[in-house]
Amino acid sequence: MSNSSEVIAVPAGERAEEDDYFAYVDGVGNIPRDIYKHVKSEPKGDLPRYSVHIVIQHLLVLFTFLALAATGVPLLFSESLWAHYMISLFGGADIARIVHRVAAFTMMFACAYHVVTIIFGTIRQMISGRFDYKRTMMPRIKDLLDVLHDIRYFLGIAPYRPKMEKFMYKQKLHYFAIIWGNCVLIIAGLALLYPDTMARVFPETLAKLLPQAIEKGVSFPAFFQEFARLMHADEAVMALIVVAFWHWSNVHFVPGRFPLQWTFLTGKITREHQIEEHFLEYINNLKEIPEEREYMKKLLKEKGLETFPKVSVSDLPRIY
Amino acid sequence: MRTSNDYLKIFLFVTIMFVFLFVGLPAKAADKENCLMCHKYRFMGRIDEDGKRINYNVNEHIYGKTVHHSVPCRDCHTYITKLPHDPVTEEVNCANVCHIKPPFSNENFSHEKIIKIYTESAHAIKPGDSLELKNAKPYCKFCHLNPIYTRVDEKRIAFEKTLLRCLNCHQEKGVTQAYIHVTHRLRHKASRSPQEIVQLCGKCHQDSALMKKLNVSQEGQDAVQTYLRSIHGQSVTLGSQSAADCISCHASSKLHDIYKKDNKKASIYKDNILQTCKQCHKRTNKWLVQIGVHPKAHEEGHPFIHFTSVFFTFALYGTVFSLLGLLMLETRTRKKDGIKFLLRHGTSWRGKLKRRVKK
Repeated sequence: MSNSSEVIAVPAGERAEEDDYFAYVDGVGNIPRDIYKHVKSEPKGDLPRYSVHIVIQHLLVLFTFLALAATGVPLLFSESLWAHYMISLFGGADIARIVHRVAAFTMMFACAYHVVTIIFGTIRQMISGRFDYKRTMMPRIKDLLDVLHDIRYFLGIAPYRPKMEKFMYKQKLHYFAIIWGNCVLIIAGLALLYPDTMARVFPETLAKLLPQAIEKGVSFPAFFQEFARLMHADEAVMALIVVAFWHWSNVHFVPGRFPLQWTFLTGKITREHQIEEHFLEYINNLKEIPEEREYMKKLLKEKGLETFPKVSVSDLPRIY
Repeated sequence: MRTSNDYLKIFLFVTIMFVFLFVGLPAKAADKENCLMCHKYRFMGRIDEDGKRINYNVNEHIYGKTVHHSVPCRDCHTYITKLPHDPVTEEVNCANVCHIKPPFSNENFSHEKIIKIYTESAHAIKPGDSLELKNAKPYCKFCHLNPIYTRVDEKRIAFEKTLLRCLNCHQEKGVTQAYIHVTHRLRHKASRSPQEIVQLCGKCHQDSALMKKLNVSQEGQDAVQTYLRSIHGQSVTLGSQSAADCISCHASSKLHDIYKKDNKKASIYKDNILQTCKQCHKRTNKWLVQIGVHPKAHEEGHPFIHFTSVFFTFALYGTVFSLLGLLMLETRTRKKDGIKFLLRHGTSWRGKLKRRVKK
């Protein structure tokens, strides 16, 4: 806590940005953008982020993904020396095939579970009037602006990070990548598992739509199967590399998250993380959680940043 | 108190027992004509006219454990009529009738039936073949190397337990032999593993120089390569016992009836292929059989598939490098802003601000 007693620097000369620097919350005061450097956090999480359903879905996907990768990658690189050792961990290629399929169906169940959670969660929020599309994964123009703003901050041009909602651009990008990847992998995987049925569904439909192509000697099933095989492998390798190198670095290995971010187990996020990357969600937290309001008020008082509540004209007679 | 004599006795006993460990029981090769009288000598051989060294030794202990162990020598080597015999110029004819009666049969045994099937197949020597082709075509001994009798001790077939019941009525020797003969073929179409079959067929079919010399079509030249790229081939390479190998599709249960695909008798003839796929893919339909078991779209430059492949390569490297680049930039800036690596109770922002914030 070397700099906890220092006064937070206000970027003078940027009066236009001063409104951006402070965010006013009723009953708390003006909250500076970089207050996250001065708050105290509990590594296991202070503020709610994910419901227990999301945590369960994530764990399901985590374990099935690892099982799928461990049994699938040796098949793709079957001629490599290590592939045989890796596949023998599962009891040979014929057992690994069953493991792969069971894991795949579990992952598909987790996806269905997620869709159900999202739909019913949204309906529940709408009924109680708490639904706000800004707090969901819906992509917005603001996300694009946030990326540009963040890059400017990384390059030292912008003084502070953008104020982001519950889900920032990285998370939205990854979420949509997962949706795309899952669709590709499930369809291509089913084509590999049930070639007979899938050969019936897709190519037959295509053949009906394009009869002249058949006359030219184009074989849709052969093409579709080859395409599915290619897509399944390529998409899976891409997913594996992105998860292993990008996702895990982001959530566990970057400074401030190392050695482990507990969010995926506890469903809670640390205070400093919430304020840094999800500032607008933190403002929502302040409005919703009284204890958090008390904590922030105390901290602002310590820093000498207390402000008197703004008084609107309509309130004047009552105060008087 | 033991005397040195006692120690000597113990030592002698142990030595004798040790020697017994390495003395095998005499093998039971059928050698009525006593051919082994000469052929048992390990270095019996000669240097022929071309300077090639040939060994004529028959190891009784190995031969006695092979499938042909009870067939007398001259049942196959029929051209030997006197002793000492003349230099051997003829090949063994597997279609010979030997003096063995299979259990439950009165006929003398012969491989004639399967050889008849073979002589009609694509691998048999036809009258119009060139000399090169004739030499390249495999005959019985090319694939069948008189393998050592291997017994199936799989859990699926409780070998000893099932055999015990047969012994209630049948004589042990005959029924054991018959039982082994059947059970070790029960697992697959062939008694060889899929890996061994791919390796065996690949011995010639993977040799592109040989295939080119024999005027095999481009499709035939690439057959092994394209198969190994397919899902069947990849599984077999990885050690699968249930994925399709060469003869799963190219031969029926007769095993030797391998024809070119335009022959009506071929299992891969366009009218028979539905039945062939049905062996594993129970719900086969006319669309499934069009799927390339030897996928070649990747190589022939199918534009769409080629494009997808290139697209994915770019997408992969593009995504990974841009995302990781951004992540590294982010980490560098946050470090300069004073964040420390370890997440501890309290705060991670324990460092000093090393960056000039625009004032």
